Amino acid sequence: MTDHPPPSPALLPAGMRDLLPPDAETEAMALAALMEVFASHGYGRVRPPLLEFEDSLLAGNNAALAEQTFRLMDPGTHRMMAVRPDMTPQVARIAASRLGGAPRPLRLSYAGTCVQVSGGVLETDREVSQAGIELVGADSAEADAEVIAVGSEALAVLGLRRISFDLTVPPLASTLITEFGLPEPDRAPLLRALDRKDGAAVQRHGGALAPVLNALLLAAGPAARALEVLRAQPLTPGARALADRLAAVVAAVERRAPGLRPTVDPIEFRGWRYHTGVCVTVFAAARHEELGRGGRYVGPGGEPACGLTLRPELLLRAAPARPTRSRLFLPFGTAAATAQAMRAQGFGTVAALDLAEDDLAEARRLGCTHVMRNGRAEAL
Amino acid sequence: MSALSPTEALMPEISAPIVLALPKGRILDAVAPILRAAGIVPAPDCLDGDSRRLRFPTDDPGLDVIRVRPFDVATFVAFGAAQIGICGADVLMEFDYPEIYAPLDLRVGGCRVSVAEPADLPPTDPACWSQVRVATKYPNVARRHFAAKGIHADIVHLNGAMELAPNLGLSRLIVDLVQTGGTLRANGLHETEVIAEISSRLIVNRTALKTRPEAIASLIDRFRAALAEGAGS
Repeated sequence: MTDHPPPSPALLPAGMRDLLPPDAETEAMALAALMEVFASHGYGRVRPPLLEFEDSLLAGNNAALAEQTFRLMDPGTHRMMAVRPDMTPQVARIAASRLGGAPRPLRLSYAGTCVQVSGGVLETDREVSQAGIELVGADSAEADAEVIAVGSEALAVLGLRRISFDLTVPPLASTLITEFGLPEPDRAPLLRALDRKDGAAVQRHGGALAPVLNALLLAAGPAARALEVLRAQPLTPGARALADRLAAVVAAVERRAPGLRPTVDPIEFRGWRYHTGVCVTVFAAARHEELGRGGRYVGPGGEPACGLTLRPELLLRAAPARPTRSRLFLPFGTAAATAQAMRAQGFGTVAALDLAEDDLAEARRLGCTHVMRNGRAEAL
Repeated sequence: MSALSPTEALMPEISAPIVLALPKGRILDAVAPILRAAGIVPAPDCLDGDSRRLRFPTDDPGLDVIRVRPFDVATFVAFGAAQIGICGADVLMEFDYPEIYAPLDLRVGGCRVSVAEPADLPPTDPACWSQVRVATKYPNVARRHFAAKGIHADIVHLNGAMELAPNLGLSRLIVDLVQTGGTLRANGLHETEVIAEISSRLIVNRTALKTRPEAIASLIDRFRAALAEGAGS
């Protein structure tokens, strides 16, 4: 019996990765730029911990997070702790507890790393970074629209312009089905069929509701057309209220950010399943992944809230390449004051630790873009 | 390469043609009349099984066609390499990609995914089974089907000639695509249960539908109109 050769020490668990220069710096700068936009709109930054007790993180509407959560035991209390797979529930908890007395509406922003048990089909990262905002204590179309408009401004700062904002109302389908009184055994297969936009299965399980649902399925697309279909279809009262709210949000978004041109998908309900109202999914035209996602939910204690969570590493992959810092080779013995002056100009200086035979060759070997010669930075 | 390098940045898709993935073989013949009725005219050698080309232009510069194995149609569409495709519902059941929407039943390529076993096997009550060994090219479908009955399916994953497995002692039964049942009978098997009736579906990549809604919706509409005219049935 022969053993396999020992694994390479460079091998990381699936979905984990090292970021190298200059990417790690680019990511940090991009994240700072995103957070600056959030701060400029009055969103105060919070920093929840990586771990918290499982029963508080997964309480209430957050139960759907459980299947994506790593857990470990706290040796002190013998309680189970959870590594956060998503930060929104943490921010909602802070808003309801430690900041429960803060004036409403409360605007909070956050950035951090989350870990999920499994990656997606397309995008297999399990360590995912998040940067987002939550607007707590306001239940209006204006609040929904503000979160989307601020998010769109943050994306523009990264140079992402061909972005598609897809507005959805996750509870609409289930409300329609429940209020219509569709037989219980048909509901689960019908919701699944709707999730996959499987026209044939909707026909099979939808009963009298099938024509309405199929019309809504195919309405996905530019907002004006989708809203028109929603208006024309006979909806139950609860579903109609949700559709009206969606129309109000679209109008408010178009008022605040005229260039945004959202799309609408009335029947989509993907996500963490804690959402209770209008939601948004962010796509880049050139990419296959979702760049972010957000929407309306009810926080602990029943407080209305909405938010948007972006995925900085995906944003950077979709964004145009950012200029990296120029690297300037300083030959051995360059005066400290000169070096300082060059750094002030924005160079990253690479100082020789001893006399080099050929400064030019040494500068090239170390990946510099410039070399200090005759008191000036010369491009290589 | 690193996550942020420009080499990894995908080509902008807006100007790129939409790619339609078609399955080689049986379904392709059945789908040809629908393509014709939908006004999709691929290069002549596309529908000819002997061509070695894999990617074909159509009369519309905004639409290309690729021809791949039926199981791969779903993968190409799920990963967004093709925005739209045609494949059997059996493939969708097996892979269950959340990134695939299946808005239209093309009502061609009709067959079924069934359980079959040797005709001369003494009858037993499956309710008593804890586990059963199944030869199939649909491991997920088979596992789910038996798990729902409380039976653990030990899967022998084969890519063809499933019908040999029970009589050579590889498995007790098989889960396979059945069209007429002729192959089963010729190999001494009989169908004991239908898991699902299958037909071909028009499938769409989720992100493509969200980011290029007009182009994708107009293609879906052309297929729908072709079906309404009675093409394919």
